[in-house]
Amino acid sequence: MNLDVFLMNGYGIYVWSSFLLTFLICLFLFLRTRKTLKKLEKDFIQETQSFSEQQLKDLKKQRIAKEILVSHSRT
Amino acid sequence: MIKFLNPSYTFYLAGKILNSIKIFIIPITIVGIIFSLVISPKDYIQGDAARIMYVHVPSAWISLASFASISFLCIISFIFKIKSVNLIYKSLAPIGLTFNFVAIFTGSLWGQPTWGTWWAWDARLTSMLILMLFYVFFIFSYKFIKDPIKSTKICTAISVLGLINLVIIRYSVNWWSTLHQSSSINITGKTTVHSSMLTPLVIMLIVFLLYSALIFLMKYRIETIRVKKRGLKKI
Repeated sequence: MNLDVFLMNGYGIYVWSSFLLTFLICLFLFLRTRKTLKKLEKDFIQETQSFSEQQLKDLKKQRIAKEILVSHSRT
Repeated sequence: MIKFLNPSYTFYLAGKILNSIKIFIIPITIVGIIFSLVISPKDYIQGDAARIMYVHVPSAWISLASFASISFLCIISFIFKIKSVNLIYKSLAPIGLTFNFVAIFTGSLWGQPTWGTWWAWDARLTSMLILMLFYVFFIFSYKFIKDPIKSTKICTAISVLGLINLVIIRYSVNWWSTLHQSSSINITGKTTVHSSMLTPLVIMLIVFLLYSALIFLMKYRIETIRVKKRGLKKI
């Protein structure tokens, strides 16, 4: 195995750290955002569970509310 | 354009685009990493350390572009009082802050082997650090100021002041004698980067743009659901 790809003439520690750190930060932001999104969708659904038939019907007339209800049921 | 300012349409579109981005982002990232770390040649002066450019430069560009977009949107929102624009800039700010941090951190990792120091109070580095402070103040303003009118006013003020800093960042390497090198890539002028290094840079830029779009759309959905949740009590 060619170790030069990892060592990079002594610069490996800087190059690999940069890439690793960048991807870890990006992964952290993605996971945190996804968690918040799922939680909010779940809270939204829970709040609508106490709704009457008529209230639910009115809610489903709103495009965004309908989309949240549908997208959450898919996941 | 007006259609995109309609939260209902944008929310629907965000869901559709999100799924497409999720499919493309991983293969493009793998290609970008292979090009950056294996295929692209070493720099003839800096050697392999120059590979840090492939994460540092796109991060810096995105953080600058995000702030410029935020400023533009804030001014639009302030003049025309379009509430849905707030959802867009609130979704953009965390992306800009993240890439600003990445640019500073990777710049520091690049500075040590090439300049012999992690940090210098150089015009470019300092103005990028000031940009990060602008991002932090901006995010704090819309998170902690509950009055929406006051919050919009303060956000607009911060973003307009930040615009001045963007100009300083852009021309800092020309106005002052800095450790940081001057621009190698110019849209209007001559680009001095060879195509063998420009290709991975463009691929990594596409990767970061796709990632930014992914986070932006997720954040946009979050902000929209927050607004809708408040509206549930009225039904």
